[in-house]
Amino acid sequence: MSRKLLLPAVAAIGLVFSQAVWSQNIKFAILGPMAFVQGENHWAGAEMARDEINKAGGISVGGKKHMVEILKIDTNEIQSVPDATNAIERAITRDKADFLIGGFRSEAVLAMQEVAMDNKKLFLGVGAAASKLGINVEQNYERYKYWFRASPTKDVDLAKTLFAVMGSVAQQIRTDLKKEVPKVAIVAEKTAWTEGLIKAAQANLPKMKMEVVGLWQPSAVATDVTAELSAIKRAEADIVFTIISGPLGIVLGRQMGELQLPAVAWGINVEAQKDGFWQATAGKGNYVSTLDTYAEVESTPKTIPFVKAFKARFKKSPIYTAATYDAIFSLKQVIEQTGTIDAEKLIPAIEKMEYVGTGAIVTYDKRHDLNWAVGKTSGIAVEWQDGEKVPFWPPQTKGMKPFKLPKH
Amino acid sequence: MFQDILISGLVNSGVYALLALGFSLIFGVARIVNIAHTAFYMLAAYALYGLLVIAKVPFLLAIPLAVAAVVALSLVCYKLVIEPVRQHESAVLIATIALALIFQESLLVAFGGSFRGMPNAIEGVVSIIGVRVSYQRLIVLVVVALTLVATWYLLNRTRLGLAIRAAANDQEIANLMGINVGRVAMYTVGISVALAAIAGVVVAPVFVVDPLMWLAPLVTMLAIVVLGGLGSLKGSVIGAFIIGYVEAITVFAVPSGSYLKGAVALTIMIVVLLIRPEGLFGVVFEEER
Amino acid sequence: MKGLLALPQWLWAQLRHEVLVLPSRSFVFFAALLLLVLPLFYDDPYVLRIITMTAIFAIFAASWDLLAGFTGQVNFGHALFFGVGAYTSALLSHHLGWIPWITVPLGAVLSMATGFLVGIPCLRLRGSYLSLATLAFPLILTGMLFAFPDFSGGELGISGLKRLVVSTVGNYYVAVLPMLILCFGIWKIGDSNTGLIFHAIREDEVACRASGINTTRYKLLAFALSGLFAGLSGALYAHFMRVAGPSALEVALSFQVVIWGIFGGIATIYGPVLAVFLLYPLTEILANFDMFKEIRLLIFAVIVLLVLLFMPQGLTPWIRDKIELVCPRCKNRNVFTRHQCRLCGAELR
Repeated sequence: MSRKLLLPAVAAIGLVFSQAVWSQNIKFAILGPMAFVQGENHWAGAEMARDEINKAGGISVGGKKHMVEILKIDTNEIQSVPDATNAIERAITRDKADFLIGGFRSEAVLAMQEVAMDNKKLFLGVGAAASKLGINVEQNYERYKYWFRASPTKDVDLAKTLFAVMGSVAQQIRTDLKKEVPKVAIVAEKTAWTEGLIKAAQANLPKMKMEVVGLWQPSAVATDVTAELSAIKRAEADIVFTIISGPLGIVLGRQMGELQLPAVAWGINVEAQKDGFWQATAGKGNYVSTLDTYAEVESTPKTIPFVKAFKARFKKSPIYTAATYDAIFSLKQVIEQTGTIDAEKLIPAIEKMEYVGTGAIVTYDKRHDLNWAVGKTSGIAVEWQDGEKVPFWPPQTKGMKPFKLPKH
Repeated sequence: MFQDILISGLVNSGVYALLALGFSLIFGVARIVNIAHTAFYMLAAYALYGLLVIAKVPFLLAIPLAVAAVVALSLVCYKLVIEPVRQHESAVLIATIALALIFQESLLVAFGGSFRGMPNAIEGVVSIIGVRVSYQRLIVLVVVALTLVATWYLLNRTRLGLAIRAAANDQEIANLMGINVGRVAMYTVGISVALAAIAGVVVAPVFVVDPLMWLAPLVTMLAIVVLGGLGSLKGSVIGAFIIGYVEAITVFAVPSGSYLKGAVALTIMIVVLLIRPEGLFGVVFEEER
Repeated sequence: MKGLLALPQWLWAQLRHEVLVLPSRSFVFFAALLLLVLPLFYDDPYVLRIITMTAIFAIFAASWDLLAGFTGQVNFGHALFFGVGAYTSALLSHHLGWIPWITVPLGAVLSMATGFLVGIPCLRLRGSYLSLATLAFPLILTGMLFAFPDFSGGELGISGLKRLVVSTVGNYYVAVLPMLILCFGIWKIGDSNTGLIFHAIREDEVACRASGINTTRYKLLAFALSGLFAGLSGALYAHFMRVAGPSALEVALSFQVVIWGIFGGIATIYGPVLAVFLLYPLTEILANFDMFKEIRLLIFAVIVLLVLLFMPQGLTPWIRDKIELVCPRCKNRNVFTRHQCRLCGAELR
């Protein structure tokens, strides 16, 4: 009998909310799954940037000072992709955000990217690594030029860092354990972003004098990998090369510790980047190492002050999605330089800018991805040692500590 | 490799068996398709986490407390939400879905979306026929075995068990024989959720705990009960072992395809259904009118 | 001159005698009218987007009702058809470069074939077996898609799809027009002879077979039709979102449609449609308030639960029984203010 009591209600609420107070503020919409750690860090990084900028008087546009306003947009993207697209549409057309920052789950970010491009809004990605996001820019510049990936580097570049670190881990195994050809077991969650990395590992590791003893691909949400680990143990692997973004990373770290697997885990393990990792593995995730963004080391001159201030304020260390901080500051830099908030004029400036961020020194390539270089955008490598997340790579960066191997 | 499959399949199968058994019981007696079944399993895991890590209650006390709390909650839910709409099968169905969502979202609000872990009851590993197994997993095995035996005893050697089986067999006749079917259904809900809660507390230290953890075992559990035959307790346990071992074998046989273990298990379920539409041990109910 | 006037006269007669006599039908009529003219005076892109999504999901919910409500084949894996429609259309336009106006119907057709294929094993299953077994199908398909990431895009899905039309208002009509037409069509099917047989199958399949009806054929027909409409909504969704990903096959989506269907009242078609129009915007409205933002799904679930406690048959049957009476003699519906049936004149109370 019926279709819609609700339309009038939607319309009424629409009217109320579209009358959002007109103001001089520059609005940054912070998009993320706010109930999850990624979203919390999106928001925390943005809060720090807002407070610092406003304390210093705001952003000056053509001589006039404007305050920074950040909008917390819960995309719920981990649970629902349509929710994410609705949220970004709301941020753009209802909340009248000037800039969009954030995003995490690649499938959702791809969908959100389309909405942002439809509306010709600058969208600085902080969180999703899928190459496709940048390839879009290259293939259809006029449509997708409003997208920039402020963090992290695209998945293919992550591989470069991974192999660089892998080389030094293998070297340590060769000297400490007197093993000429270390054996590597690859554990990658079965997702599209890991495909390229797996192929690269299978091709490169033998060249780096390592033997690949097998490839295991559990589902990203597997809760148990003892079967896989038993097989890995039989293969006598020295290194477990992880390419994992989901909770699988915790399960793997914990069960490796529990079974006292005589191997070290290195790779991407997003959960191991979080402070909660030690607790989540009940202290069994010792020697698990992963690519990471922030630590109290001098990646750039801004890193240590940022990480310290973040820890003091939020009682936890930042993960890579806290780079919303850098995204806002880099926009401040180009806005002040060009004297406008018009996206069309900002884009050429962003393409040319060099911005010294907290985790990376930012320059963009023709896909609007970060240019990769060791020590600039490579990120760092960290290892869990007795409850502490210890940074150990790149060795030339100040503040690094030694990498440890489990006792055999 | 054979021993690896044997051991790693055993633990998972046992946990699946507890879940499937509980689900089957409540379906058999009350005809409730309880989608929230694994949500109770999740609640028990979180209750243990809260008691153990936040309230620092010792292990031996925390486990019964967590199970009791979850069972009590389930009985409240049953009285308030399910019983009033018992006559409407579809309403019961989405009432359980809504309950599961409520639990999930409440945990999300209370604990956030991050993954939680907790210490084992006993640390350390032991080597069994050349396979390393942690003590916690042995505990899982022992508890599962004891619980299965206890359930068997309860159902086959007590008056309550007799009443439950009678009600499962034929509600109307059971009612005519002077069994209070409503109360039996209530007891069954308690027993069924207790089984899920026990599964939850024993695996919580082995797995990670998060507010979406109920979905994956839900699907596997449903596959098992359908495979074994809805309402058949024997079928549930045997189905659990079939699916548990199929998953373990998939991991060892096709390492790069271990993500497929869920799909393989579901495909086996479909194949079995094609051959035997009532599942392996299902009874062909007369057309229910 | 008389010939020219015949059509409008006929329409007016239909409207007066078939639609405006019943409050439920009048409501649907005016709601549909409002949906059609809304963009002319209100063009907020956010609101239009929400209604567009709602319309797409409304087709999906109606297609579920045809299968689960009318025919009693309570499908727990309805996302399968949605996903097949979305992926087929996306893959065709991505790999072959076909325009969406061709691929969307093809997606629907393939989904119809899927419905037929899935229907065959389901013929042997009854009741809860069927529900729980169907839950598996979308998950098996997800596993297959993940196995061939080069072809399917893995967890990223296929992105960068073209829209059917460019403008916001255009997209609104691309979703709302098919929604109105299809939902009316599905309702008509439910009202037809075929619908009667579907209904009979749900109530008593054995008796239905005993009456000489080939229930197998009709059950397969229900699966195929349901697949067709669900597939169309999936394909529309993919091209509206411009992404077809594994989230179109998730268990959550299958559950969602079950909630919509039962909340609105099964075997009514308009029930699930109304449910979508109430529940889908609900979470969005809540997201506009800071205090409800984080708990919107919790509120959603609590509302669903409470409504069901009071209206276990679903929302629309409850309302309908309050405002309309069924004539005891001819079984036609009358507005509750009448004392005599509008068609046969029998006493209503």
